[in-house]
Amino acid sequence: MKVEIKNWHAVAQWRWDTGVSEANGMDDDEGDVCGICRVPYEGCCPACKIPGDDCPLIWGECTHVFHMHCLLKWIGTTASKQQCPMDRRTWGQSVPIFSSNTLSSFCSYC
Amino acid sequence: MASISARRLSKELMEIKNDGCPVGINLIKADDFSTWWFTIEVMGESLYQNEQFTLQFRFDPQYPISSPAVQFIVTEGKQAPVHPHVYSNGHICASILGNEWSPVLSVIAVCVTLQSMLASCKEKQRPIDNDRYVKHAPENPKKTRFHYDGECQCYRIIPIQDLTIRFL
Repeated sequence: MKVEIKNWHAVAQWRWDTGVSEANGMDDDEGDVCGICRVPYEGCCPACKIPGDDCPLIWGECTHVFHMHCLLKWIGTTASKQQCPMDRRTWGQSVPIFSSNTLSSFCSYC
Repeated sequence: MASISARRLSKELMEIKNDGCPVGINLIKADDFSTWWFTIEVMGESLYQNEQFTLQFRFDPQYPISSPAVQFIVTEGKQAPVHPHVYSNGHICASILGNEWSPVLSVIAVCVTLQSMLASCKEKQRPIDNDRYVKHAPENPKKTRFHYDGECQCYRIIPIQDLTIRFL
């Protein structure tokens, strides 16, 4: 039998590498949402329309992950006392996957 | 465009409708994203057996970045529980509603925390400064700066679920 391919469609899926979801397997959906807005990491924060590089994640030194815009909105309030919403430790940004240039250009939001 | 609070609250409402409320807590009205009402009872042995209270949540468009205004309802024959952290006008002195609020907390987490605050009560009494506070209290309890270890003898109330464990 001879098969001739006339056309094909490539389909791809992406996800942020949060370093935890892979290990947790499929059954943990709680871990895949931003604790502040409860939208999946792969979705975007409520202020954005398009997920992806324009609405990135942010990692804390405490290893907690949020949509960057959600976290910055919280850290920008005096009520936050600059603390991580999860563990109330002083928020410190962990070294991101992005270069610092790229990240600061995202920050035009705040 | 839907506000931040509307999106987040519609998710919380869906969870409540799908999974139900914890035992002793019931949603009675949530027709919009500005005010919700719950009934709250303490299960098992406590000083509040056979008592049911109504809890009101008011949300501003910045919820959950800004905390909800939470109080017991004291109109239409309803009463606030007699408790050292609860004023007779329904205002509650609880740190998680004030300076310990975190946007990862939810409406149900607040209900459960208040339920356990009642459950652990040793003696039914009003805050020491109840009369003075109620006389001058603002309508919205969020405008009060409670001193969580001050005159009303209110101390930190820790949410029943440890935040880091729940969301890690």
